[in-house]
Amino acid sequence: MRIQKTKKQQKYFWIAFFITPGLLMVFVFILLPLFMSMFNSMFDWNNYNRLGFIGLNNFKTLFTGYYYSERFFNAIQNNLKWFVMTMLIQNVFGLYFGYMLSRRINGSEVFKRIFFIPVLFSITAVGFLWGLYLKPNGLINSFLALINAEHLQRAWLGDGKIATYTIILVNIWRWTGFPTLVFMSSVDALPIENIEAAYIDGANELNIFFKIVLPLIVPAITTITVLTIIGSLNVFEQVYVMAGVDGQPNYSTDTICTLFYRTAFGTYDSSSPVIGVGSAMSVIIYLLTFFFSITSISWLQKKEVEI
Amino acid sequence: MKKIISTFLALVIVFTSCCVVLADEVTTIEFWTWRPEDVTFYDEMIARFEEANPDVKVNQTAINNTEYFTVLAAAMANNAGPDVMQMKCYGQLQTYIDSNYLAPLEEYIPELADFSENARRGAASNVDGVLYGVPAWSQAMLCYYNKSIYEELGLSVPDTWDAFINNLAKCKEANYDALANGTKEGWCVEFLFGGSCLGFTGANDFYDKVVKGETTFEDPAFVTAVEKMGSLTEYMPKIYEGVAYTDMQSSFANEIAAHFIGGTYEYANFLNLNPDINLGVFAVPNIDGEPGYVATYSDMNFSMNSSTKNEDASIKFLKFLASKEFGQAAVEKLANVSIVPGVDAGSVPFIAEILELLKNSCPYIFAVGFRYEQPTGSSLFQSAGQSYMVGEITAEELCKKVQEGIATYYEPFQK
Amino acid sequence: MNIDFHIKKAKSTKKLTLIFTFFMMFVYVIIILYPLFNMVISSFKSTRDIIRYPFALPESISFKSYYTVWIEKKFYNYFINSVIVTSVSMLFVVLLGSMASFGVSRYQYKGNTFLYMLFLSGIMLPLKAALIPLYMIINKLGLSNSLTCIILINIASGLPSTVFILSGFMRTFPKDLEYAARIDGCSDWRIYWNVVMPVVIPGVAIVTIYNAVPIWNDFFFPLVFIQSDALRTLPVGLNSFIGQYKTDWGLMFTGLSISIIPMLLLYLSMSNQFIRGMTGGAIK
Repeated sequence: MRIQKTKKQQKYFWIAFFITPGLLMVFVFILLPLFMSMFNSMFDWNNYNRLGFIGLNNFKTLFTGYYYSERFFNAIQNNLKWFVMTMLIQNVFGLYFGYMLSRRINGSEVFKRIFFIPVLFSITAVGFLWGLYLKPNGLINSFLALINAEHLQRAWLGDGKIATYTIILVNIWRWTGFPTLVFMSSVDALPIENIEAAYIDGANELNIFFKIVLPLIVPAITTITVLTIIGSLNVFEQVYVMAGVDGQPNYSTDTICTLFYRTAFGTYDSSSPVIGVGSAMSVIIYLLTFFFSITSISWLQKKEVEI
Repeated sequence: MKKIISTFLALVIVFTSCCVVLADEVTTIEFWTWRPEDVTFYDEMIARFEEANPDVKVNQTAINNTEYFTVLAAAMANNAGPDVMQMKCYGQLQTYIDSNYLAPLEEYIPELADFSENARRGAASNVDGVLYGVPAWSQAMLCYYNKSIYEELGLSVPDTWDAFINNLAKCKEANYDALANGTKEGWCVEFLFGGSCLGFTGANDFYDKVVKGETTFEDPAFVTAVEKMGSLTEYMPKIYEGVAYTDMQSSFANEIAAHFIGGTYEYANFLNLNPDINLGVFAVPNIDGEPGYVATYSDMNFSMNSSTKNEDASIKFLKFLASKEFGQAAVEKLANVSIVPGVDAGSVPFIAEILELLKNSCPYIFAVGFRYEQPTGSSLFQSAGQSYMVGEITAEELCKKVQEGIATYYEPFQK
Repeated sequence: MNIDFHIKKAKSTKKLTLIFTFFMMFVYVIIILYPLFNMVISSFKSTRDIIRYPFALPESISFKSYYTVWIEKKFYNYFINSVIVTSVSMLFVVLLGSMASFGVSRYQYKGNTFLYMLFLSGIMLPLKAALIPLYMIINKLGLSNSLTCIILINIASGLPSTVFILSGFMRTFPKDLEYAARIDGCSDWRIYWNVVMPVVIPGVAIVTIYNAVPIWNDFFFPLVFIQSDALRTLPVGLNSFIGQYKTDWGLMFTGLSISIIPMLLLYLSMSNQFIRGMTGGAIK
């Protein structure tokens, strides 16, 4: 009896030992300030002066007030575009390339090293470089002129209908290496016997991929999906660098985080901060992200178990 | 770990404060600007100031304008930040006044009484009229043109709107970009409007009326002005909706474009990009028989942090920034229209030309009058303006959006 | 049995698929390398040449602007600061993160899901949202204007994703192996450090790049919390440099190149170890 108790105590000692330092850091430098700032959403503000407690009024303004509601729903649509495009293009290509590389297609040693290079670049550098290439007289349009496709020339970053997609594609250009390597490493970790056995049974390549490999790498798919969800809801830097904090042109590239930033901190050449509504927005972003990532984690983990 | 760090820090703090005491009574003040491009200019100015005031040392920090106000607000909300800083005018100044971050200056700097009414308006609180900044300079929105291209094509400075359009057409025929302006960035639409079409609205009369709520932005004259701006798209570069601010600057400076509608603050930059450029300015004529208007506004103040611990030294520095010596240097080195009284701005020929044009000026409407609450007139006009310029909405719809947005908070419009 | 995809050995449809894949990968390589190449050649050109002939090669190559940026603009100093910040932050992110992952994934107890969620909830919102309270905390701790506060913020913001990724890896570690180690008399620390960690090296590699890149490139927090020039990091230096020379594109490209090339060289020289780490060298 006594021995068991000490064992239990020991176990809790070790749990505390492993978790406390990290938890303390996260609590002091992330959760505490985040909740302090969310608390502000319950107050009325005159610029940076906190006035009285107003309950959920800022949320009401956000969802029903002229201007904010329109902006908010416009922004969240763009976040959805980010998610769908990233999943469909970046992660599918990541899976495709990752699988092919782990099966050692010709040149794979060179490819896997190069694919990762853009991931290393700062978003400032990437935004600036591509901003230059996507100008009306930049590389892309000059290239289109070269192949006699002038009718396809566009204001890639200036046309509200396509600007968001352009920025997403640049981001995909930068990030594809990441899912590629994650999937490559998870396929590499699989026991090779599975695939060999399937070959001996005469299975074709598609079956090997979909029936044998894919189910075994669900954990990696979970990781990438959740990171994509969080990333898509937190898109900020990419838009900030290539389209400014206003989501130019005419808010067409706005995301909930640029909208939040603009509302909470104001902009250099047109507006001032509205802290109450800004904080309300941060609460919504937080809840949305939390909800979607938890849902997808539990859904995908169920899949894992089923298989 | 934390203990070690804090002990170490405590030691460092004790050590540094000892040093400060030992090193006599030199006070160091922090000075923040959002103009990294002017760092050298301020270094020179600070050197001059320190020579005259050996007891004060000024430490300059330049932060890009895109992050400046975020960093400033975070610091000031915690009673930290610079002692003296660059500050915006009108509504954006009001934000900091309302938050009690700035010190009122008139009691310390009596010279502020000599500034012109217009200059004071940009630095005053709209609640009680007290000044919270030393007005630095004002800007004017107008049209730059390339004199060499004008000579080559045999054009002359236009005196009517039709003549202006005709000049644009001639430049276009000759395969120049007639106008450098593009609409990728919203604020470029605002200054395009301010620099070319305010005369159509009725200029000062319209401004006075609309501020009082006696007319609205749906006034036919305002709609006409917007339509006139829309008619300029024909002379803008190909794919103008993708042309960003820096593209406009470089295409005019590199003599690819013949005209550039924009602010006086461009001048130094054009010469910097292309020292050989031969450029001139005019106010775009709107109504036949009337001279064109340039739109003007105060651009910047120097303000003092209300929680500064170095009040005396900061005031000394602010007095220097309010002096004729500094104003004169700003004119000569930055080609800015200084509003410090008594500065001989005309000593630079370009500024002399601007001063002449400023005799017929009107307020840069949204920046001066409608940036006090959210959504600001500027942000409404900028975004609707971008939609209008690419043909997504009509001029009437643009005006309606601006009017409705401002009416949500602006009392004179709610009657 | 060799199950590698080799274009030569493959037949008909498979061959076509492989050729197509190879082509796609090749195109991706081009659109990765060309902008990089263009950036470097542009750093040797004048602003006017960059605008007029963006694709042309420079007329001459001079490293004068590199000297200006590296020495006169003190980029070497910023570079050292960045190296310190990134390496110290990453050391603690990996150490504390893997410890916490071990604590939430290898023990059964009430509340381990809650603790996991608590960690995870730290990535739900960019920390920028909480700038003003964060400033207050840093100020109260007396840490403003020091590399320490940047390092602490980096560690804290790196931990949630680290716990998320690594605990996924650790969960798949077989219980039996852990029991065996326990019976051999290993302490929990030994199990964590000597038994589990070597196996999750690919996860550590993923976590390292996932966090090190944003830490290396972040300019926002250093901009807010560091005032003295001597403590600035490379991205802050680059950012104010870009602000100051907005119109001199040649110099800007030099600044960009200088901020990218060291990272690139470091990566290329270590890519063998890195790739081996990613593909779980320890298991095989």
